[in-house]
Amino acid sequence: MLDKNLIVGVYDNEDNLMSTVGRLRKKGVEIFDCFTPYPVHNLDKEMGIKRSNLTVGAFICGSLGFLSGTLLQFYMMTNHLGTFKSWPMNIGGKPMDYLMLPSMMPVMFELTILFTAFGIGILFFIRSRMIHGKIAAILDPRQTQDRLLIAIEPGHLGISRDELNQILKEEGAIELRERKDGEQVVINV
Amino acid sequence: MGHHYITEIKEEKFEFTTKSRIFVTAILVLGIILAVIGGIQVNSNAVDSTEEHAMAQVDHHEENAQDHSSGEVHEMHGEQSSHASNGTVRIWANLLMNAYYFMLFGMGAMFFWAVNYVANAGWSTMVKRVVEAISAYIIPGAILLLVILIAGGDHIYHWIQYQELGLVEGDPGFDKILNEKAWFLNKGWLYAGVGVITLAWIAFRFILRRFSLKEDEEADTKYFYKSVRYSAGFIAFFAFSISVFSWIVIMSIDAHWFSTIFSVYNFAVTFVTGLTVLAMFVLYLKSKGYMELVSDEVIHDIGKFMFAFSIFWGYIWLSQYLLIWYANLPEETIYFDARVNTGFEPMFLVNIFMCFVLPFLILMMRNAKRNPKVMILAGSIILIGHWLDMFLMVMPGTVGTSATIGMLEIGVTMAFAGLFIYVVLNALSKASLYPKNHPYLLESANHDVGV
Repeated sequence: MLDKNLIVGVYDNEDNLMSTVGRLRKKGVEIFDCFTPYPVHNLDKEMGIKRSNLTVGAFICGSLGFLSGTLLQFYMMTNHLGTFKSWPMNIGGKPMDYLMLPSMMPVMFELTILFTAFGIGILFFIRSRMIHGKIAAILDPRQTQDRLLIAIEPGHLGISRDELNQILKEEGAIELRERKDGEQVVINV
Repeated sequence: MGHHYITEIKEEKFEFTTKSRIFVTAILVLGIILAVIGGIQVNSNAVDSTEEHAMAQVDHHEENAQDHSSGEVHEMHGEQSSHASNGTVRIWANLLMNAYYFMLFGMGAMFFWAVNYVANAGWSTMVKRVVEAISAYIIPGAILLLVILIAGGDHIYHWIQYQELGLVEGDPGFDKILNEKAWFLNKGWLYAGVGVITLAWIAFRFILRRFSLKEDEEADTKYFYKSVRYSAGFIAFFAFSISVFSWIVIMSIDAHWFSTIFSVYNFAVTFVTGLTVLAMFVLYLKSKGYMELVSDEVIHDIGKFMFAFSIFWGYIWLSQYLLIWYANLPEETIYFDARVNTGFEPMFLVNIFMCFVLPFLILMMRNAKRNPKVMILAGSIILIGHWLDMFLMVMPGTVGTSATIGMLEIGVTMAFAGLFIYVVLNALSKASLYPKNHPYLLESANHDVGV
């Protein structure tokens, strides 16, 4: 993101940011991203961000965990897979076949949780490209403090630059900036 | 403003029309008719089935005597079937089971009501009046339950007959376990205990409901804070009382058996069915054009609760089963022996599927919780599943292996369902559908689950 050319509008008020986003979206402007110091409710809906598929990933990870919990125990504790060789551990005098299913439940449950939790964590880091040692892409240090930023790519405008500047200003942007080749310039106050 | 905020809530009132009154009464009457026909049928066949039943009990008894040190423990089961005809027992067991089950709906709603106050939760305020209406059933429900306990207790609980004999050590048929439990398993606890507990619940409901209605007239937060205090008191009392309630009404049917998690298990049933009934009523009202301001977000959250507490039920169910299965102590396994190694086995498995596996899989997806049809489907599965759950708790210890689901069972359930729906809709029509002046009303109207 650091090498992208962006037009940045700076706000000090979430309502102004929200209305800007709504107006720009109506005009067909593609919004690159918004940066806010705290989560703004409904901003994602306003920006038209699609719901993440992370839950599908969580389901797949959970199913994998459930399967591995099941297979692991059938592999080790029973002879249904023809693998019952060296470590017949009889626990509590229970039959060593599928009838011991109740005692397998806790392990199945725990592995489902384990795979889901780790899987969804790792998938989240991959999806949001948060890799250890990556330089934080910060447009303005105050985006984590008291400023709300909207970023638009000049290539995906759909309207003229003048009109965009006009809208941003009308909706109460306190500053307009442009980032070109990694340099940030204030273009309008 | 890009997003539309609701800032004003129009007053809405549910009208319990004559047409729907007749319809609900028809369910009730049809249920009673079916129950009566079923009851007559059952009693006319009673001669054959009593013999069968006695045979089954003897087999059962012998089986248990082998792995139990004192064979006398189960003497009473056999005695019971000769004491009263099987048909009568079956009728009373059905009445008890349904009276208890529908009572749990009301208590689940009560708990949800109180827990939202204590947790300072705002999202559910829009459906609060529906919760209040569901809890209205505990008044007729408690009366019905008490009548059934007093009139039919001797047919249902074999320990009542035993305590009346007044045996002492050394007498033939003496039962040490029942004698030592006599301080709790007696008519005093059964009648007065259940009476006092239900009366206290009704008192809590009366107070909370009064605050809720007063808040409508007078815009003052003092009713909210008072409700919080009484809700906290209710939850503390509820935790203890629902345990005692479930022990004396349901667990004492198998008086020799005990399970320390039984009351938690019953609480799980209470809460999940209460929430499901809430979801069903809200969806019904929405389909009739009421409560349009209750957004998908609120229903989504109720769906999450149904999903979560179905899992909780499964967890508690397994906790109870697994420990008993592992330890393999005869006095504990007797309970599951009567449910797994008999004709109840298919029902036993279906119960797990309907109460845990199916709700878990159906309600897992986000869109399922936002789709009324899927929610109704999942809700029906949960309610029927827990009905089976009740059936499995009550029937093996009372009717025995000859218990089936016939016209009597369906009729009694329909009658109770008709009464329940009538009471709830009637209570719903008594006050405005949205609580006025509740401090969290707008928060609930603008509720957003975020995903």
